[in-house]
Amino acid sequence: MAPVLDLHDIQGNIIKAYPRFGFCCARNFFFRISDGDAGRDFLAALIPSVTTAAPWVSGGSSVVDSKRPKITTNVAFTFEGLKRLGVPQASLQTFPEEFAMGMTARRDILGDDGPSAPARWDPIWQGPEPVHLFIAINASNQAALELRYREILAHLPKTGVDLVPGHRAANGAQLPYQDSSALFDNGEATSREHFGYTDGISNPYFKGAGTDSSNVIGGGKATGKDARTMAGWAPLETGEFLLGHKDEAFEYPVAPIPNLLGDNGTYLVYRKLHQNVGSFDAYLARVGAEFPGGGEALAAKFAGRWRNGAPVTSFPTEQQANDFAARWAAAKLAIGQAKTQPEREAAKRHFSTINTQFVNFDYTDDIEGTRCPVSAHARRANPRSALEFGNKGAFSGPSSLGDRRRILRRGLPYGDSKTERKDDGEHGIVFMALCASIRRQFEFVQQQWLNYGNDFRLGNDKDPLVGNQGLDESGQSDGRMVIESDPNRPPPPFFCAQLPRFVETRGGDYFFVPSLTALRMIAHGIVDPT
Amino acid sequence: MSNLAGKANAMTLITPIDGPVMALINKGIFFFLGTKLFRFKLNGLLTLSMIHYARWVIVSGRDFPRLSHSQPAEDLDYRYMLFFSNFNGSWAQYVDSFSAAIPDGLDGLWWQNVGWPKSVPEQPFHRYVTDNQLWTSHYYSAYPMAASNDIKSAKNVKDKLAQFSRESAHDEPDAFLHRYNRLLQSLQHDLGQLAPTPIVSLASQAVEQRRRSDARSNV
Amino acid sequence: MANENGNAYALTTLCPLLEVSGEDASPAALIRDRLHRVNTGASSPMAKVPNVYFCRFLILDDVIYESKPYRLEHLKSQYLVFEASLHGKLGPYLYGMWQHAQPFVRSMWQFCVGFSEVNDAASFTTYIQKCQVKTTFFFNGSTDESLAEQLKSLYLKQEFSKFAYAHQGWSAKDLKAAFQDFIVRVEPTNLARPTWRAGATDLKDVVIP
Repeated sequence: MAPVLDLHDIQGNIIKAYPRFGFCCARNFFFRISDGDAGRDFLAALIPSVTTAAPWVSGGSSVVDSKRPKITTNVAFTFEGLKRLGVPQASLQTFPEEFAMGMTARRDILGDDGPSAPARWDPIWQGPEPVHLFIAINASNQAALELRYREILAHLPKTGVDLVPGHRAANGAQLPYQDSSALFDNGEATSREHFGYTDGISNPYFKGAGTDSSNVIGGGKATGKDARTMAGWAPLETGEFLLGHKDEAFEYPVAPIPNLLGDNGTYLVYRKLHQNVGSFDAYLARVGAEFPGGGEALAAKFAGRWRNGAPVTSFPTEQQANDFAARWAAAKLAIGQAKTQPEREAAKRHFSTINTQFVNFDYTDDIEGTRCPVSAHARRANPRSALEFGNKGAFSGPSSLGDRRRILRRGLPYGDSKTERKDDGEHGIVFMALCASIRRQFEFVQQQWLNYGNDFRLGNDKDPLVGNQGLDESGQSDGRMVIESDPNRPPPPFFCAQLPRFVETRGGDYFFVPSLTALRMIAHGIVDPT
Repeated sequence: MSNLAGKANAMTLITPIDGPVMALINKGIFFFLGTKLFRFKLNGLLTLSMIHYARWVIVSGRDFPRLSHSQPAEDLDYRYMLFFSNFNGSWAQYVDSFSAAIPDGLDGLWWQNVGWPKSVPEQPFHRYVTDNQLWTSHYYSAYPMAASNDIKSAKNVKDKLAQFSRESAHDEPDAFLHRYNRLLQSLQHDLGQLAPTPIVSLASQAVEQRRRSDARSNV
Repeated sequence: MANENGNAYALTTLCPLLEVSGEDASPAALIRDRLHRVNTGASSPMAKVPNVYFCRFLILDDVIYESKPYRLEHLKSQYLVFEASLHGKLGPYLYGMWQHAQPFVRSMWQFCVGFSEVNDAASFTTYIQKCQVKTTFFFNGSTDESLAEQLKSLYLKQEFSKFAYAHQGWSAKDLKAAFQDFIVRVEPTNLARPTWRAGATDLKDVVIP
């Protein structure tokens, strides 16, 4: 039974991945509040422009929607921010421990050590005080972004609320905002990130999430039936991503009191992740020379997807992946070329069928890891049915061990790496994860599945792309990965040694994304758990 | 005090069972679990593969050892089930795996216990376990750097290495290489390297750090 | 026999504590404090005792009240709970415990009823058996090999993994020679050495060469 979500009450960034709708540029900026009244006044002024999850009439970026905003605006708060805004202590105490501590204090759990340690983060995150208020705006072009940014700053009271500087940008500059944007290729926005992978393909599908039910394929939880079809999937419970709704454990997720403060809200993890593209390219070139299939195949094994997005478990060779991409492009083209409405509908259905091949797998026919390595990033981040290890019926559902570890991903790349492919410089991903429990979902995946390997029976081996690889006694990188081979064919497994740390944390924090109701209550200073 | 020894976690529970009949049913369930026919019921726990050894002990007041006449005899209405587990990770981290993944299995073993809330939903289950938990004062693991998976995997490596050593003794180099590659394939899931546990919780990490610095300053 | 699962043995003991210690604190408080001060890891007294996979010590003060509507009741004594997962038979294990950890045993059991009669391995064994409660169900999610075999296996797994990574792509002739050197170094059938040290928590001191 799906809940009827009050989409006007839910902030839009929870339900929608804005970049998919053409909002390819984003600006993230943060404020400190030193005066509660001023903070609440500022928030009140912002609320009318906060984008909700209310549907935009008819989809497709080529159609002008009367309800589609030109620019989206969403707000979130750290624990300290809620405190500054006057949320009472009795309510604050009902927020989860990890949110109250903030991300810096959780660094040991997250593996933010060595080059990822807070001492190396952008100055804005160095404190001594955390940030309080987070505003994220998305637009389809830079000019619109600038406009909204200025409009928002114009609402700032004379004192009591300050824009916090200290985001490192290109050429040693420090800015009072963090821009992020789709990477462009020949003037077209792509879904690629700096290592060259197509990103953001898979996101959880939950009850009430959206109108296109075919997104349940790969996005929901596995049923044990054929993963290539809708029968193989069921939507996840809303409460895994939104407070105040039933979750996968048949209860409401732990939420702040009073209910109205938490309902329809969620948590957001913001992490600026620097990417060492120089080291990445170098490793692919060096080790790829030894690897059957070369650097491109090695890249595919690291991620679990070819860089064009094709899942390696379904398309084990580069040729198959490229053929798939060509079929996909042709199907997409056919929609635009359709001359009649029935033709267009047929073309859309055909495209949709091909499109689901990006996500319609559950690893049950690849338990050995012959096609998608057990250690691959996509498989670690979302193991689907892999953790049953082929023992059908071992758990309530084949993906039960992962159903409560899903996160919504809403980030975009930042910086440029096309002109020079090196480690230095400001380029990476502004990573954002949304979930009802930071500890159970984001932190668990980060600590147990990305920076450790026991649940995958991989000992202490880490994720090849994002793991916090260390150094051995001689100062060499000590990351490693086994790339499994087919036991029925001659080549032995391939060992990737001395994997460097390709991704380093540069800052971030934990935020609470309230509903519109909660925003109004906070702005009016009327939150009261009595 | 610590429930942790590297990758191992000592969970100790004591829960009342409502009377001799319930205790008998509980024991009966365990009896059947031990038979080949019903062993499949343990499939969930075995696939989770995060337990080294665990045991259940059902005792009545009379079963409590009485070693002298001056020691009073226990006089209890309830029977008690003691549960001792050695598993990997923290309870907070993995309660969801026990709750959501194998709910039926746990309910079968604990439903006769007084106050048992069923293992789904998760929050009351988590609280019941925490409320009935006994904290260990000294916990020892012979291999703090090995999870249950690591022990099982290591046995596979030892066995296959021994077999390979025997069979390849007289191989010419090319035949040796061929056989060696087959060995690697048979062990490709067993070559993850071992290291100390990632931190289990900030609290346990802090205690551990203090303990180490005390040990250094006592030298 | 419910205490056994293959060659693994589940020892569960409830050792009753005396009512008074003769010192300024109850036996329960004193023993608990002593337990908290015992060295952990490879320095635990238990690390010297052969064939114990895991063991724990705690004080059971009382049973736990489940709140209304359930009955409130109490234990008349407190108990030192000693629970161990062992390989092999109980007798040899307890002899080993007396032989290798006698000071620890004497200290922790000092205030247990009847322990003053214990003065050697045989009487210690008898004592523990009197305190033993029968295991109802013993779940083995691991192996039932001897501890020495488990530790040797861990050593071999770690060393062979390093070997496999380091010798990728080597020529057949060189690989065979290297492997033979490897076997000479790791001595797969020698359980005494080289192997992993019981209770070790750090890679720096885990190998017994």
